[in-house]
Amino acid sequence: MEYVVIQSINALVFAVILLMSGLGLTVVMSLMNFINLAHGSLVLLGSYVAVFWLAIGAPWYLAFPAAFLSGAVAGAVLDRFPFRLFYARTHLMQVLLTFGLSVVFADLMRWGFGAGVATPRLPDVLRGVVFILDTPFPVYRLFVLGAGALLALGLWYLFDRTIWGAVVRACVVDRGAVESLGINTQHVFTLVLALACGLGALSGALGSGIMAAYPGLDEEVLILAFIVVVVGGLGSFSGLALSSLVLGFAMTFSKMIDPEFSNLMSLGAAAAILIVRPNGLVAPVTRQV
Amino acid sequence: MLGRGIGRRGFLASSAALAAGAAVSGPLAGRALAQAGRDELKIGLLTSLSGPFAALGESMRTGLQLHLQGVGGSLAGRPVRLIVEDDHAKPEEGVRKVRKLLTQDGVDIVCGVVHSGVALSIRDVLASANALTFISNGSANNLARKAASRFIFRPTKTNWMLGSTAGTWAAEKISKKNAITIAADYAAGREYVEDFIGAYKAGGGQVARQMWTPFGTTDFAPLLTDIAMAKPDLVYCFFAGSDAVRFLQQWQDYRLAGRIPLIGTGAVFDQEDVLPAVGPGIKGAVNAFHQSPTAPAPGAQAFVELYRKAHGRLPGEMSTSGYATGQVIAAAVDAVQGDLTNKDKVRDAVLALDLQTAYGPMRFDPANNQAILDVYINEVRVGSDGKPVNQVVHAYPKVSDPGDKA
Repeated sequence: MEYVVIQSINALVFAVILLMSGLGLTVVMSLMNFINLAHGSLVLLGSYVAVFWLAIGAPWYLAFPAAFLSGAVAGAVLDRFPFRLFYARTHLMQVLLTFGLSVVFADLMRWGFGAGVATPRLPDVLRGVVFILDTPFPVYRLFVLGAGALLALGLWYLFDRTIWGAVVRACVVDRGAVESLGINTQHVFTLVLALACGLGALSGALGSGIMAAYPGLDEEVLILAFIVVVVGGLGSFSGLALSSLVLGFAMTFSKMIDPEFSNLMSLGAAAAILIVRPNGLVAPVTRQV
Repeated sequence: MLGRGIGRRGFLASSAALAAGAAVSGPLAGRALAQAGRDELKIGLLTSLSGPFAALGESMRTGLQLHLQGVGGSLAGRPVRLIVEDDHAKPEEGVRKVRKLLTQDGVDIVCGVVHSGVALSIRDVLASANALTFISNGSANNLARKAASRFIFRPTKTNWMLGSTAGTWAAEKISKKNAITIAADYAAGREYVEDFIGAYKAGGGQVARQMWTPFGTTDFAPLLTDIAMAKPDLVYCFFAGSDAVRFLQQWQDYRLAGRIPLIGTGAVFDQEDVLPAVGPGIKGAVNAFHQSPTAPAPGAQAFVELYRKAHGRLPGEMSTSGYATGQVIAAAVDAVQGDLTNKDKVRDAVLALDLQTAYGPMRFDPANNQAILDVYINEVRVGSDGKPVNQVVHAYPKVSDPGDKA
């Protein structure tokens, strides 16, 4: 019994890690119809920012805003050049551009942060354990669980329940109509991209305490993020949350059953979902005007 | 005189420099000219400078360069030109680069190789070309057995030498029952665990469970929860690079450190690539390794001092491997007065070596050209500077791979 409870919490934590890495990707994809393969680089950037922030002994709770900010600034710059030139182009062109950039960023980060594996020096508050049914469980994982859930909720509220979110969604449907209301849609897109890149970096910062930071993490995260986004249904928030849960549990419980075949089992489950529902768990309503 | 080969990166960098019209290309060209000609000794270093083993490959190159600098850039009076190629940690890329080194560059000696898979895949190319080869790290057992070759030497360990030593130690000193093994599921992990279990069982030990995790596992939590509930008497592990850091980090997060005895082999507790990232919390864990910053052998101590002066940190396996490879090559070239034309003479010279290397004492087994090395049992302790350090607590002298007898 206690075993299943603990493993379920493990699964929830991993689901939140998946959810966070998919958030930034799905925001850009659904709201801007832009495929960003450089998303993994921003996640890794956030990890490094958090690691170095914590290493210099600055207040730990600011490490996460700092990571978010670094990603957001990078996003705003990338939006100016060269992303803006590619928003209206085909997906293939976007993939070529952003994949190329991800290779450049990987080399730049290796040059700037080194090729070794870096781990964040977490504060004592986060390094402890709590006892769940007499079993020690790392506090940091619970922190990640809470932070990720809050983040997803906040984002859902922002896009689904505020006037600002309504403007962004309207931009996707009919940019011209929004502009005729006197709203600068280019600024809206810049903000969305900065937000998405910031989210990527923030997820990297939160994840660094579990996954560490090293060259190659960018690719690993990008693949995981794409799997959850595609299984959830391209550009669907609730789909992303649902697929993170399904895959988080699949990946955790398959490791319990037989770790040797865990990838086969969990990715087999993902493939099965896509065979039954080719558009993902929750297919977004697409409208052409 | 130290040369740098032009790999993919070198090419990119130099074309960038040319494009910018930078003055950097001036001295580069000058150096290349100075090296050209007469009695140059060309050494090709095949290592991983990109991909998952990039950090390891860079350390290997650093170690070899440190040695070549120490001998003034020449061996037995011949100026050395080092040509570095990047195998991307991919077997097929390794084959391509070795062909390039042999045919296009015409190197006298090939050395390096981080990845066992690359070492095995280039073996046939090297064997059919009768190329003098020193494998610095790729430690697949088979290269000391069926795939051994007349001119391929391996101045480092085999997986068996470490795995079986760990098994012997675990059965003798830790516990004979209820052991769990957990390792990365690829060739090296399989060998390290198989050889551990062989020796552990021979010592009367019983293994309760084996766990295999895919290469590049992000989250060990489910397995660590399993281990915490199973309460084994000991856990034996093998991981490399980022997997090792994550495993040891999460091992501490789940409060298994200090509660369940942990023993590992090879790169999992590497002094340079893993321990600094993991921190002192892992103290008390034990590993069987042929390299240690506290190895008592004078050669090892001298190297640790030298490396610390040059780079401000303790060396790990990879930088040691590069340096030791340099030492073996230097001793062999010296023994034949720099004349590598008669390869059989070079081979006899290598097999006759009795060296003090950066690992410790080293000789070669004439049966399979495999190095015979001391294997240390290291315990992770916290040094006076608060950083974790591999402290030798026992040494198994002159461990040699059984070769074809295995």
